[in-house]
Amino acid sequence: MPVGVVDEDNTATSREMIRNLDAFQTSHVVAHYPNMNEAREAIQRNEIYAFLLIPKGTTDELYSSRQPKISFYYSNVALLPGSTIFRDLKTISSLGSAHVGAAKLSALGKTSSEIKTFLQPIALDLHMIGNPWTNYNIYLSTAMVPGVLMLFVFLITPYSIGTELKFKRSHEWLNMAGNNIHVAIIGKILPQFLIFLCIFYGYEFYVYYILGFPHPGGIIPILLLGFLTVTACQGFGIFIFGIMPSLRMSMSICSLWSVLSYSTSGTTYPITSMNPMIEAMAQLFPLRHYYMIYQIAIFNGFPLYNCILHIGALLIFSLMPLLSINHIKTAMQKYTYIP
Amino acid sequence: MCYIWAKEMHSTITDEGVLIFCILVPLLYPLLYSWIYNNEVVRDVPIAVVDLSHSQISREFIRKVDGSPDTKVSYFCNNLDEAKQLVAKQDVKGIIYFPPDFDKKLFRGEQSHVGVYCDMSLMLIYKAIYQTAQAVSQDINSKIQISQSNNYTERDDEITTKPLDFESVEIFNSTGGYGNALIPAIVMLILQQTLLLGIGLAAGTARENNRYQDLVPISRHYNGIFRIVLGKASCHFMIYCVMGAYITLCVPKLFHYTSMVTVPSLLGLMIPYLLSCIFFGMALSCLVRYRENVMLLVVFTSVPLLFMTGISWPQSNIPGVWQGIALLFPSTFGIRGFLRISSMGATLADIKTEYQALWIQVLVYFLVTCIVYRYQINQTRRHAYERMESLKQKAKEAKEKKMAETERKTLAESELE
Repeated sequence: MPVGVVDEDNTATSREMIRNLDAFQTSHVVAHYPNMNEAREAIQRNEIYAFLLIPKGTTDELYSSRQPKISFYYSNVALLPGSTIFRDLKTISSLGSAHVGAAKLSALGKTSSEIKTFLQPIALDLHMIGNPWTNYNIYLSTAMVPGVLMLFVFLITPYSIGTELKFKRSHEWLNMAGNNIHVAIIGKILPQFLIFLCIFYGYEFYVYYILGFPHPGGIIPILLLGFLTVTACQGFGIFIFGIMPSLRMSMSICSLWSVLSYSTSGTTYPITSMNPMIEAMAQLFPLRHYYMIYQIAIFNGFPLYNCILHIGALLIFSLMPLLSINHIKTAMQKYTYIP
Repeated sequence: MCYIWAKEMHSTITDEGVLIFCILVPLLYPLLYSWIYNNEVVRDVPIAVVDLSHSQISREFIRKVDGSPDTKVSYFCNNLDEAKQLVAKQDVKGIIYFPPDFDKKLFRGEQSHVGVYCDMSLMLIYKAIYQTAQAVSQDINSKIQISQSNNYTERDDEITTKPLDFESVEIFNSTGGYGNALIPAIVMLILQQTLLLGIGLAAGTARENNRYQDLVPISRHYNGIFRIVLGKASCHFMIYCVMGAYITLCVPKLFHYTSMVTVPSLLGLMIPYLLSCIFFGMALSCLVRYRENVMLLVVFTSVPLLFMTGISWPQSNIPGVWQGIALLFPSTFGIRGFLRISSMGATLADIKTEYQALWIQVLVYFLVTCIVYRYQINQTRRHAYERMESLKQKAKEAKEKKMAETERKTLAESELE
């Protein structure tokens, strides 16, 4: 990621610092600016995400123990670059400090392990369970791609039922099912279900086995989750169409609902930090339960009984059409489509 | 042109689908999203502590972690397995583990370790736990350093622990708020997507109401291309000027988001943005045969479009192909530009690339729209002509029939005579 430097000191030490910064995996020094204002304008022009300011006399003061101050300025407007660069710049300045301390202590004749202990008496052992590389793809693809797939299911289900009404085939459709709406719906949904299930399993196979995303939970939760997700979305779609048997309204509701579910699933911004009312409402979105089951049973590999409530919720979504299926029948027999 | 404008206005207000997407969604969705993200930052992430050393220093560490704003110590466990169970139930998001020899090692003059286990399913939670643990350990470290070195003054202590001082300044979005980072992008995307949906739905309806499923009806008002395109565009533009002002000015005020927009920069960005969205939508609307199909198309693209702008994953790290695809959509430049003028206080000169790109899009999509509308008009004329021809044909046939009949009659009459 591009960062800039304002080096007013121009000494061997300051240049070493800049070289160190450049050597980090995540930052790349792209430009030197003569003063702070120009660097700030470069951020506003989106050329760099952050810059390091080394004031004049830093090296002098460092060697004469007068505690100089370097500053780094970073923009948090894009959160991920902001926090990544913050980490790098902080490491740089800590290294700068440690460098001086180490030089001083080794002059006193301390051994390297003594120096290490003095500089950092308590060290943190960080265990990043499941995603030790902080791989962003693992965050993104496991929540957003299923979200998009679910959106498709959400929209296609009412669309396929609604078009029967639209093209005035609803009577024919019901007659084929012997006037039994259950048969009619199942007959319509089953082939779609198989297709969606194949797509979903294909996606899961791709991310877990080809891309090798962490899945210590094993195959059973993966298969179960794929099945439940598809049925829950289809169930939700039929339910909405049953409540509002108009193609346009049900599709509008489904699309608005599914777009909102990206936020309320809490995949990027945790749901516990939201308003309590939103936290409760989030339970109405299938993607939320998908995500919880994914992170408990697949990503962290805990036993399935820990997410039994979420599995139950998805089952309820799958069974919701039972509430409104009779309404679909009346709609199919009586309503006509108005463009 | 005024007639078309009035007609389009009328259809926007009376068509419930268009009404939902053009008026209600832009009004309500920003409020809803702001409400969702209004807390901005993650506070008091629950963590479990496994303290096997039971020492004064470990307790100080725990107190400080508990006292920091981002984390909260909610459980004390006797071993790691117990803590793991809590993570499984999602009661806690992380574990801090002090080994039995934690303080012994410290007093022996060896490096001592604290284990921090983070649930990595959420980036923000990981950040909260990790940064807190790091800050606390640094704080305690410097205290230990001071006690070990033979300093005389406080200034000496400061220099020992921190020979090189540094400060970090978050110049933009200084709270690191999630809402502040995301909401400007979301509202701009809402503007574009609802426009596309509204225009597409209106076009779909027009087609379905038309006898030949044509976009352009036969009427003496619908003769010139520019008349149709500009008439329709001006209707959408008027509605969306109001919506745009509401979204870019009222919503940030209501929810106290950072908003550093100035009048020239906002106008300079929003006018080309809205225009390019409108013409893009109109060009796209010719593809729409049935009104509901447009929903499938537009809703699905929302999330990919948001990611293509570089709001989440940095723009500089997006593969070139996707960057190229992103150039096609007005939202890419609109969001990038708006983020900079509203969150960073950039001037119009700073977002030169963005607004220039938007004007180019306005021109290109305007031309495309004109071309497709020309095609549509020609098609309408052809349909009308065919219809007229077939009518003429029918009339002719009927006439001939009649003629033949009368002839036959006269023939029969003459035969009779």
